[in-house]
Amino acid sequence: MIINDIISLDRTQCSVKCQSKKRIFEIISEIAIEQSPELDQVEVLTSLLARERMGSTGIGHGIAIPHGKIEGLTNMIAVIVTSDCPIEFDAIDSQPVDIFFAILVPEEQTDKHIQALSGIARKLSDKNIVKAIRSASNKNEIVAALA
Amino acid sequence: MLVSKTVTIINKLGLHARAATKLVQLSNSFDCDIQLKQGEQSAPANSVLALLMLESSQGKQVEISCNGNDAQTALDSIEELIANRFDEGE
Repeated sequence: MIINDIISLDRTQCSVKCQSKKRIFEIISEIAIEQSPELDQVEVLTSLLARERMGSTGIGHGIAIPHGKIEGLTNMIAVIVTSDCPIEFDAIDSQPVDIFFAILVPEEQTDKHIQALSGIARKLSDKNIVKAIRSASNKNEIVAALA
Repeated sequence: MLVSKTVTIINKLGLHARAATKLVQLSNSFDCDIQLKQGEQSAPANSVLALLMLESSQGKQVEISCNGNDAQTALDSIEELIANRFDEGE
């Protein structure tokens, strides 16, 4: 899985002003529907929050990978957001999060889901990539770091 | 003490984010070094990112290796978590 296929500059935002977990999910769902108007914002938000309630997607080192299944979605899409300040996120290492790599997944695409997570993990386990994302001053630099 | 065992991932979603997180939380509760190996690739069981990189989907075989004080207990607990489909209702 080439994760570049699911990343889009239009669905990436750098250093958003945000101080709460709830607000970051709203921002992610706003970005998603702006670029894909066929999506329903309430459904996207509900799906992300429902997954989060089952356990935090904060996987450690200031990174979270929120995700949700969306009925009727044809292709998986990623929404990438960094926050200007780290946000309390109940992450596995209890550290606040400032990199949010969200994915919206079509229902019943289990294999692709696992492949996407693996591709994302490969990028985010590279300390140089994570450093470049954190020090990015605009969204172009975030997308370039992940390319 | 070093113990290892090969088990099959049987839950529908495989080692996805929530399953990997549970595995890390469980692994962190033991006083030993735990590695998961799938084919040529291995991952420390204390890293969600490393576990996700294994791309362990349903039906894949993984070798669990535990090395340390409570290695056998750790191995048994992890085997049970995987056999119980990471406690996911399917």
